[in-house]
Amino acid sequence: MKEKTVFRIFTIYEHEKEQDYLRQMHRSGWKFCLLTFPGFYHFEECEPEDVVYQLDYNPEGLSHKEEYVKLFEDCGWEYLQDFAGYSYFRKPASETAGAEEIFCDEDSRLQMLGRVFKGRLLPIFIILVGVMLPQLLLNLFSYRDYPAAAAIGVMTALCIGAFIRFAWLYYTVKTRRKN
Amino acid sequence: MTEHIRKVYAPMTETAFYILLCLQKPGHGYGVVQQVEKLTGGAVRLAPGTMYGSLSKMEKDGLIAFVREEEKRKIYQITDLGREVLEMECRRIRRLYRNSLGEVVS
Repeated sequence: MKEKTVFRIFTIYEHEKEQDYLRQMHRSGWKFCLLTFPGFYHFEECEPEDVVYQLDYNPEGLSHKEEYVKLFEDCGWEYLQDFAGYSYFRKPASETAGAEEIFCDEDSRLQMLGRVFKGRLLPIFIILVGVMLPQLLLNLFSYRDYPAAAAIGVMTALCIGAFIRFAWLYYTVKTRRKN
Repeated sequence: MTEHIRKVYAPMTETAFYILLCLQKPGHGYGVVQQVEKLTGGAVRLAPGTMYGSLSKMEKDGLIAFVREEEKRKIYQITDLGREVLEMECRRIRRLYRNSLGEVVS
């Protein structure tokens, strides 16, 4: 059986894109097998099939894994693996009822984003404010080490960028929910 | 009933409503999913991510309580506070229903 590995990075706010990517791969005859650090997607060749892929982020679920996974399996979702706090599930589109997902309302989608925010983005923000900004200012004004300042500056900008995009995603889901 | 409970559960999501309704008898998450499918003729299908999140949130808020575990499934039951919240929501829905028929609720 043919196998292949693809390197791809999906950022924190791109889990929907990642789901679509895995579904697209399965549809073109590449079944997702395993994701390894930092972003190696392992696939094996298969019959092309429309399979819905879903990601959940639920630290509480991970700490009660047996009953967490059991509920998903009861509902017909195959549990694949965890990666960086996310749990991966899939279900053939032929078995889903309409456009079925692991969330059935915008409230719970928003709550998942809230958990991602707390678990993934808040730590980045704390590092940003606590470590990177002081370092940036020190290198700029005290040590006058401009290459270092530039490097830290780029990292800081990336963090802020991630933050803004996440805030935007959160906002769009929230307005979608209100309408 | 605290301000927090009122704010979060009045009104509540369909998922939360059906969880309280079904857990008047002890049951697990998937049991609620199946029961709701029957009750609504398949119109409402609760999803596991939503269900898991709601159950743990409602347990924390004291609306339902963990009873025991059966074959890796957690069995819950409604609490007194949960009943109170459910009754409040039922009153609201009855009012909506009567208003939808053009009736005035006094």
